[in-house]
Amino acid sequence: MAHTTTPASNAEHPALPADTPGPHSRRLGLIAVIATFGGLLFGYDTGVINGALAPMKDDLGLSSFTEGFVVSILIFGAALGALAGGRLSDQYGRRHNIIVLAAVFGLGTLGCVLAPTWQVLAVFRFVLGLAVGGASATVPVYLAEVSPYERRGSVVTRNEVMIVSGQFAAFVINAVIFNLWGDHDGVWRWMLLVAVLPAIALFVGMLRMPESPRWLSSQGRDDEAHAVLRQIRSAERADAEMAEVRALALEEQEAQTGGWTDLAVPWIRRLIFVGIGLGVFQQFTGINSIMYYGSQLLEDAGFTAKAAVLGNTLFGLASVLGISVGIVVMNKIDRRVMLLGGFTLTTLFHLLVGISALVLPDGSVKPYVILAFAVLFVFSMQGTIGPLVWLLLAEIFPLKIRSFAMGVCVFCLWLANASVAFGFPPVVDAIGIAPTFFIFAGLGGLALIFIATSVPETRGLTLEEFEDSFKARHTPQENHS
Amino acid sequence: MTVLVAVPDSPEGVAALAAAAAEAASLGTDLVAVNLALTPLDISAIPAATKVTVVERHGRPDRDPVDAVLADVEEYGAVRLVIGIKRRTPVGKAILGSVSQRLLLNSPVPVLAVKLNELE
Repeated sequence: MAHTTTPASNAEHPALPADTPGPHSRRLGLIAVIATFGGLLFGYDTGVINGALAPMKDDLGLSSFTEGFVVSILIFGAALGALAGGRLSDQYGRRHNIIVLAAVFGLGTLGCVLAPTWQVLAVFRFVLGLAVGGASATVPVYLAEVSPYERRGSVVTRNEVMIVSGQFAAFVINAVIFNLWGDHDGVWRWMLLVAVLPAIALFVGMLRMPESPRWLSSQGRDDEAHAVLRQIRSAERADAEMAEVRALALEEQEAQTGGWTDLAVPWIRRLIFVGIGLGVFQQFTGINSIMYYGSQLLEDAGFTAKAAVLGNTLFGLASVLGISVGIVVMNKIDRRVMLLGGFTLTTLFHLLVGISALVLPDGSVKPYVILAFAVLFVFSMQGTIGPLVWLLLAEIFPLKIRSFAMGVCVFCLWLANASVAFGFPPVVDAIGIAPTFFIFAGLGGLALIFIATSVPETRGLTLEEFEDSFKARHTPQENHS
Repeated sequence: MTVLVAVPDSPEGVAALAAAAAEAASLGTDLVAVNLALTPLDISAIPAATKVTVVERHGRPDRDPVDAVLADVEEYGAVRLVIGIKRRTPVGKAILGSVSQRLLLNSPVPVLAVKLNELE
């Protein structure tokens, strides 16, 4: 999982008139549905490889090294796409960016479907990755910017749910296609091809959707911003909200103030290290080794190929349920408690998967036990660490350096994701399932130490209170006259 | 006429601000403090007799503190630039660059460089 959550806003909300329902509500609802196709595509394109991989390996003759390469190159592309996507959407607009991304999704998908060799496949997987990263940086921002503040949170989390739903959908479609036509060499091409449909829906749909009013205002196009607000708010609400839109556009520019040289300040540097650590350890849980290689893992554990693809759908389901639970409980439990609890659970299930793979005799029970523990791992991860790390990244940085700091942390998160995706097949090949999961458990132990010693609590504090206390704790006390 | 001081989030920044207040008083000018920190600037230590204007960095054009300070030197017609300096390791300079060095070399007006006494 990797996607951007829009930072919580500091702006005050002077009593705006309630957004009374009307034709504009349907318009806003439609915008949310269309734009979240971007999240769905993100999920589908990252998830479809899981399940497509087994027939693809036979068809294109992949080794464990080229397998890891073909899978992870999409994630490397996403790391770059997230960086470039943020810049482009600031420059040319959110709507424009999403339309271009939909076209890139379509192009990348067709290229992968028609690829004659793994090298060509890798090139187009990289192209798809650019679109995935771009979508992660643009879609949640667009959704937050068109939504009234009362509904901003729920609309943005809907995008997170759409991403895991996209992965779940990919797993289910893989299972159906593989169980019906699994004997054909090129069956993986049909699994990939399905992604063209939501790409077309996103492209055609976004052509009819308006640009973000906040972005228009940041470009000095307040008249157009107002016209858009008139489409998606009640009339008096639209007029009243223009002031807030302008204030938020200014706040966004403010968020781009800090950069590289501000790392000279110890407490800022430390905060960015905390953010990087959170992103990297989120990925080092190995969640995506399940999301990308779940079917492979189940086959290695002893399932038949067809049963493995079916069992894999449970990972998708656990992911959707986990995120849904996580979003609900997230603001009711202290961040640190939830992180420590989450990593304790994931590390426990890593150990249980590893021990089961090690001690259980090959046979009828073993694959089911491994499946059960891996499903529990996915559920615990997506219910805690998954959404919580995104929330923390959105709220721990001072406004003036937020844009730069989040960019750095999200980039590192993608790189960690890519390195797990790249390393998993060769490592499993070389040392087997059990030791691989003991490595994940070891990384989980390191994550627990990191959180206990370094991650600050933010729940229930305003941004200013948090900054003051963190700065006071991490500024070296020097005596000077 | 005004004295302009660059105030980073560090002990050198505090020292530079104090030295700049003294410089402004001796020249009989106003003081413009450019806040390079990402948090609000504390100016409570400056004598009430000196008129202080705090200037913040705003947005992407001010991401580079050197550009921000030099633009303000021009805008406020400063006659003196005050900065705090400290010893840096070669590695630190290679990674983060040296704001002080670039200000010293690029400032159009004389620069007063203040350093902390490292022995005390």
